Amino acid sequence: MFEFINTLLIGITSGAIYSLMALALVLVWRSTRVVNFAQAGQALASTYFGFEAMKHIDNFWIALLIAMIGGAILAAFIEMVFMRLLLKHTSSGAIASVAPIIATLGLLEVIRALITLKWGGADVLIKAPLSNTGFSIGTHTLVFSPMKLAIIAVVVFLLSILSILFQKTNIGLSLRASAFSPELARLAGIRVDLVRTFGWALSGATGAVAGMLLVVNGNGSLSPASIEFSLLLISGFIAAVVGGLDSLLGTVIGGMILGLSTAFVLMYISDSLFFIAPFIILLLALIIRPQGILGKKGGRRA
Amino acid sequence: MRKINNKISNKTRIVIFLLLGFVIFLISNRVDELRVYQGASVAVYVVGIASIILLTGYSGQVSLGQGALLGVGGYAAALARNHWHASVPLTFAIAILAAAAAGALLGMAAARLSGPYLAGTTLALAVGLPSLANQFSILGGEQGLFFDVGAPPQSLGADFTQYKWFFWIAALATLIVIFWLQNVMRSRYGRTWKAIRGSDVAAELAGINIARSKVLAFTLSAGVAGLAGALLAMTIGTVSPSAFPLALSFSLLTGAVLSGVTTLGGVILGAVTLVAIPEIVASVVDRLGASEGVATNLPSLLVGALLILTVIVLPNGPVEQFRSKQRAKVKKSH
Repeated sequence: MFEFINTLLIGITSGAIYSLMALALVLVWRSTRVVNFAQAGQALASTYFGFEAMKHIDNFWIALLIAMIGGAILAAFIEMVFMRLLLKHTSSGAIASVAPIIATLGLLEVIRALITLKWGGADVLIKAPLSNTGFSIGTHTLVFSPMKLAIIAVVVFLLSILSILFQKTNIGLSLRASAFSPELARLAGIRVDLVRTFGWALSGATGAVAGMLLVVNGNGSLSPASIEFSLLLISGFIAAVVGGLDSLLGTVIGGMILGLSTAFVLMYISDSLFFIAPFIILLLALIIRPQGILGKKGGRRA
Repeated sequence: MRKINNKISNKTRIVIFLLLGFVIFLISNRVDELRVYQGASVAVYVVGIASIILLTGYSGQVSLGQGALLGVGGYAAALARNHWHASVPLTFAIAILAAAAAGALLGMAAARLSGPYLAGTTLALAVGLPSLANQFSILGGEQGLFFDVGAPPQSLGADFTQYKWFFWIAALATLIVIFWLQNVMRSRYGRTWKAIRGSDVAAELAGINIARSKVLAFTLSAGVAGLAGALLAMTIGTVSPSAFPLALSFSLLTGAVLSGVTTLGGVILGAVTLVAIPEIVASVVDRLGASEGVATNLPSLLVGALLILTVIVLPNGPVEQFRSKQRAKVKKSH
């Protein structure tokens, strides 16, 4: 029973982090129709910004804020410098559909190499602000630590802010309009380029939170070669696909499904399936419901 | 105007390839061991890049998991060699078949997907598949398996080195693959893929079975990738999960973009760049006396930057760019 509850709690926490990463991917996808594979690199860089901030101000929450701002600026910079150039030069031709994928992968390499040049390849530590040990009931230990609770609270808070932004404000309306039809949005007087940059910045900030929380959810160590960040990218992508790539709520559900099912597979079947389980979930999702949980029919071939 | 290129007859092409093989043979006798080994690496990359060009440039599908298919080929070759004591040609044939079978499976899933979905799925595969090696004890876990193609035959002389033998095998395989791929591209299937890449709706209206030809492209490409994997395993002597990392898939993709994904003509450019960049960086760093951290990270920084630049400036690759300029010139003079 305790084992079951613990697995559930672990699954929800990692699912929450996957959801954030998936959200970052979806925000970019909605604004530019590009799956940004550099997102893992951006999240890594933002987490290093947070680490740098922690050295000066010994407060995780302020560092998190700084990481978000840094991530947003980095993402906006990438959109303005690279993506606009790229979409201008490769809008047609044989490579048009592949070019953004390849370019963002190149960006991932560049960011990772630059991080290693700046901070070195060795592990650095980010101290978790709250204890990560669970509380005991009798002889059993529940893994629900203050840190895990805080992670879930942060994710829920961020999600509510984002959904309010999208549903209730003018900015959200122009974001949705630009994603739906750039041409019509332009005619309605929306500055689509600016809105796109804003979408990227939002995504950068979201990715930064995912990176920071990923580190403190684990053992607190951070390195440029970290396999966790590659996995974060893939988990985020899978969660986004399970959710349908277009819907925010679907993305969160996708992240939870992925987090929970991975946690249960690792606990009850074999923990050596760590790398394979997400892939199998992705394949199942693509076979059973290719348009995503909340996606509309017939969208996947475009 | 485009017809001119295609008018070279098959016989002439065979002669050209034989000449090319002879020149490579002469060169391999003149240069030192290190260069011969690098030559073998270039040959491995050429085959790997060709598999991506076949898939991405010709059939318009993108795979970020090509490294995993190389892994399938490498492991199949090692198993065939170690357990059934297969001869060298048979070993490579088994590698090709095993990877092609894996590619067919993957292709069936891939034919339903496109663009980012396919890229993400193959990326997940590239991360997931190598860890399978730890699941089955026959695959040797983290250490992997030894793979030895054996010493060069006695008839080649006593001072014929192992590396040269590797190079000969790799170069021969490469020449055969490139020749065969050129033929495939000119065949009905090549034209079918081009039609699909141009417009899948138009291709379907012309009576092309899109799903089937996409699966075929994936299968053939995987077979070529399997050969590349077996050759790679040969040059490093072992197969292990760490020999086929995600970075390998990325390097191959980079090589393909540098070569120009729509033509086989520049395939050597990408392969040489991939082998040369770490070398050049090492010598420059040596001269400037930079720190070790710079030396290990500069190559991937350069490769990444080169990748972005190529996609933005020369999206179709240098060879295609050159050709289209020539075409424009010919048109003007008429």
